[in-house]
Amino acid sequence: MTDQDTTTDTPNRRLVTDGGTDADEEAQPDGGEDVQADGSGIVAPDDETPTWRERKERKVGLSRLTYEYFERARREDQDLRQESTYVERDVLAFPTWPHETVRNLSIAAMFVGMILFLSATLPPHIGNPANPSSTPAVILPDWYLYWSFGLLKLNPLNPELAILGGSKLMADRTYGVLANVVVVGFVAIVPFLNKGSARRPVEQPFWAAVGVFGVVFAFTISALSVKNLIPMNVDLLFDLTFLLPVVAGVITYAVLKTMREGYMYDLNRRYYRLRPPK
Amino acid sequence: MSLEKKDDHDHGGWMKTKDLTPIEKGFLTTLIYLDKRLRIVDYLEIMENLYYKVNLQMPKSHTEQYNLDNKFWYWYPLYTLGLFSTLAYGVAAISGAILGFYYSPSTAAGACASEISGATVSYCSIAFIMRDLQFGFMLRSVHRWSAQVMVAAVFLHMLRVYFTGSYKEPRELNWILGIVLISLTMVFGYTGYLLPWDQLAFWAGQIGVEMSLSIPLAGEWVAQLLFGGFTLSQSTLMRMYIIHVFLLPFVVTTLIAIHIGIVWMQGIAEPH
Repeated sequence: MTDQDTTTDTPNRRLVTDGGTDADEEAQPDGGEDVQADGSGIVAPDDETPTWRERKERKVGLSRLTYEYFERARREDQDLRQESTYVERDVLAFPTWPHETVRNLSIAAMFVGMILFLSATLPPHIGNPANPSSTPAVILPDWYLYWSFGLLKLNPLNPELAILGGSKLMADRTYGVLANVVVVGFVAIVPFLNKGSARRPVEQPFWAAVGVFGVVFAFTISALSVKNLIPMNVDLLFDLTFLLPVVAGVITYAVLKTMREGYMYDLNRRYYRLRPPK
Repeated sequence: MSLEKKDDHDHGGWMKTKDLTPIEKGFLTTLIYLDKRLRIVDYLEIMENLYYKVNLQMPKSHTEQYNLDNKFWYWYPLYTLGLFSTLAYGVAAISGAILGFYYSPSTAAGACASEISGATVSYCSIAFIMRDLQFGFMLRSVHRWSAQVMVAAVFLHMLRVYFTGSYKEPRELNWILGIVLISLTMVFGYTGYLLPWDQLAFWAGQIGVEMSLSIPLAGEWVAQLLFGGFTLSQSTLMRMYIIHVFLLPFVVTTLIAIHIGIVWMQGIAEPH
């Protein structure tokens, strides 16, 4: 707005072409000319017209705050990048063509080939047509839903409350569905329970043990879901379903805890020397 | 305001003042033609902006920076499980589209009911695919196996992410998106499992209805919505079909794109 004075000097000026500050607009009535509604008074933006960024800067309230935050964040990001000794991937990287592309194509070809090989050698079977009047001896979902199916069979764990006269708070099947929700919900909130920069199982024996517990439990609960196919006492199977995962978890914890000392020495030497704790 | 063009906007005149090769001239003419009608330049600006944003990545990973590749190269095969499941999804989509040409979801008595008692139209269409269609048996096999492989790869992918701690900040939201995706993958599998309408499909559907009925308060509503009633019928099969071939493909493809996009932006998390 350096040459604002020169524009205001013009006596027959019809418009404030610089987009106008407040003071500017007060000083400039439209000179008594008729207001034209046919668009003839519109002129193209010139150098004095505020850019969208400048218009945004004048906003108030939430949009102003948002703008300020964006500016701050951008500056912070820029500062961090300038300070850092990192090299951007755009500059230094494994070339996409041909190296990366050829490698990806060969991996993709191998995987698709594996699928085709499997389908050629082990084609699927189709059973008898649906018959609502004859319940088959074996009712099963696909294998990847066994764990969920097994969780529906936890009836013996549904608590009977003394205050309700020994009756159950929830129907057994409601309890089973709830067990599914609890398991999936727990897996979903893992990142909010386990924080920190540790990555390897050996750095966090407890969480590795939780993971092994989960994996083994997925297998045992799947075995429970097909209990009528497993030649084993059903009660024993039920107990083992919960016992085996715990045992596996404890063993994992013990092994990792034992490994930890020697392992962490190496890791720490490499890691904390390069990235001192804040 | 006159309709006559000002000199600034006389793009033809501007082009004449320049010494252009035929290619440049053709390009500019096309660009100006399209821009006059579609405001291409505005969108080009957005695209340019997007281009730079898309190319933003996190700085070099820990492994790259400190040359730790030799310390954990044995993890690498596990880092390709996500690609594996995406590929299997692609194979399932292609084979599924071809299967869809021959499959019809109906529980009415099928044409092959004379040889196979109780066969419905959908069962007969599977029987047709498996017995009469050229490569039909292989086609169904490919679809089924790619689905199995996708689920298996997705489970293993989740385990890899868990045991390498890759879900930690700043990747929590992508982990949750992954949980949603693995659940939807299983719904994909379940709805597909029901389509042949054989005994296994029917009784698996029965379990599904009972599971939804056992949800407190909303149970009956859910059963109506997903299964079209409290007993299995034509509407159940139709709903499973639409979920399997229409709803889920859109939703899951979009979510996979977002999931991979976030990985692209955040970079891959290696163990230290």
